[in-house]
Amino acid sequence: MNAFLTALQVEGLKARRSKVPLLTAIGFSLAPLVGGLFMIILKDPEAARQMGLVSAKAQLTVGVADWPAFFGLLAQAVAVGGALLFAIVTIWVFGREFSDRTVKELLALPTPREAIVGAKFVLVGLWGLGLTLLVFVLGLVVGTLVDIPGWSWALLQQALGDVIGAGLLTLALMPCVALLASVGRGYLPPFGWTILTLFLANIIAYTGWGDWFPWAVPALFSGAAGPRVEQLGIHSYGLVALALAVGLVSTFLWWRWADQTR
Amino acid sequence: MDYAIYTEGLTKSYGAVRAVDGVNLSVRSGEIYGFLGLNGAGKTTTIRTLLGMIHPTAGRVEVLGQTVTRNGRGPWRQVGHLVEAPAVYPELTVREHLEMARRLHNLSDPKATARVIDQLGLAIYADRKAGTLSMGNLQRLGLARALLHEPALLILDEPANGLDPAGVVEIRELLQRLVHERGVTIFMSSHILTEVDRLATRIGIIHQGRLIEELEAKQVETLRTRRLEIQTRDLTAARSILTNAAYGSVTTQGASLTLSDPRAVEAPDEIARLLVNAGAPPTHLAVVQENLEEHFLSLIGVAA
Repeated sequence: MNAFLTALQVEGLKARRSKVPLLTAIGFSLAPLVGGLFMIILKDPEAARQMGLVSAKAQLTVGVADWPAFFGLLAQAVAVGGALLFAIVTIWVFGREFSDRTVKELLALPTPREAIVGAKFVLVGLWGLGLTLLVFVLGLVVGTLVDIPGWSWALLQQALGDVIGAGLLTLALMPCVALLASVGRGYLPPFGWTILTLFLANIIAYTGWGDWFPWAVPALFSGAAGPRVEQLGIHSYGLVALALAVGLVSTFLWWRWADQTR
Repeated sequence: MDYAIYTEGLTKSYGAVRAVDGVNLSVRSGEIYGFLGLNGAGKTTTIRTLLGMIHPTAGRVEVLGQTVTRNGRGPWRQVGHLVEAPAVYPELTVREHLEMARRLHNLSDPKATARVIDQLGLAIYADRKAGTLSMGNLQRLGLARALLHEPALLILDEPANGLDPAGVVEIRELLQRLVHERGVTIFMSSHILTEVDRLATRIGIIHQGRLIEELEAKQVETLRTRRLEIQTRDLTAARSILTNAAYGSVTTQGASLTLSDPRAVEAPDEIARLLVNAGAPPTHLAVVQENLEEHFLSLIGVAA
């Protein structure tokens, strides 16, 4: 436990000194801001008509200007935007050690490799959850400023569960990205994987088989294709858990067994 | 025998390529072992297997009496290492790098960082970001990281890389002090022969993955062949005089004649007298000793 906490401190220091947390926070903050802009447009149909395409797009995405629609938008942003941004975080946390060749400084130490890999995963998890909460809190501020109708405390609780649920499901798919960053020893293979899974998730969700494809599950959970009870079953969550387990176990084993030539 | 490093039939293959081929190493505690080889000879692969970063295809590795296994466990608390060029996180300062290393080595003494910063002459760079350091100072940071926890064994891959001449001398003296004052064992790879020649108490030469020779520093002295180099205004006459005097084979190298006969090497004054009396006085007479570099190259040539 002590070794793990030490490794977590070290990983935290690396993250704090880099610009990546700030950049990901700025990137994720765009979601509630853009959502707020859509709400302003939807609240005033006259202005919406005058704005032409922008208004039409807003209608397609959200439909009506109320808190349930706005929270739905936030959950979708976490599910879809998170798939990209959480992956960037994961790729940086794992892939940089190979790209900068610093991995060799982490291997022959009294702190076991498992503690270092575990700390990296926990850092990615905390980072992703932090970004998710940032989106939610910023969404509340933006929604309040825009004065969207339809607020209730019960809705807040449900929306918080939806947004965090979408964030956790997305994060559960990150160990596979970490595995590819490790096996691929850098940035490109995991980035290619991220783009591929985003693309496939879209295609497979359109064909109606998204509940069987783990990388489509977070977006379906967020309500991107309708109410989640109609889209997902217990098997969908089971497959996400399986992807999580495979990614985690494989990454730990790889760091333990593979030859490290970087 | 108390070995700090012991390998038996150490072999690492990548497909059909044998990067390291049946290497048997035995590095005694308290010695400075120079591991010589050309680029690609297998030095770094050997070092990575010693540190458990690469798993041998065959053979056994023991470091400080502990078998290095595939699980990454080893006596790493007692081992400091520098593998290839030091790698750093550009946005972290020198002090932060060493603080991270201190924590990962479970060192409770916070003064260890300041101590090694002073030891390696990094005080003025301590709060500078590693990304802005020169190659020489990066090397010092890498060495500081290796020395931070006062290890019993140092495994250093090309420790003089990137250092300026004064830095090379400084690090050489530091390593010698560590051996003499603290009994540290040093295993250092290098292709800079003069460094190995000056520092090592034992030398292993690796070529194409095989350990082709292992010798004590004292043996290096005896292995070095000596020859007498002679220059005169009339090389043909001098050559004829020396051949007639039965001084063995006389070879011509450019504008010089070379004699390897021990009688000539031990008594160059006799050669001078002979040539003067015969009317071909020498303009240059010198006993030249083969250095480690020449020995190494001749050995590699033979092996190749």
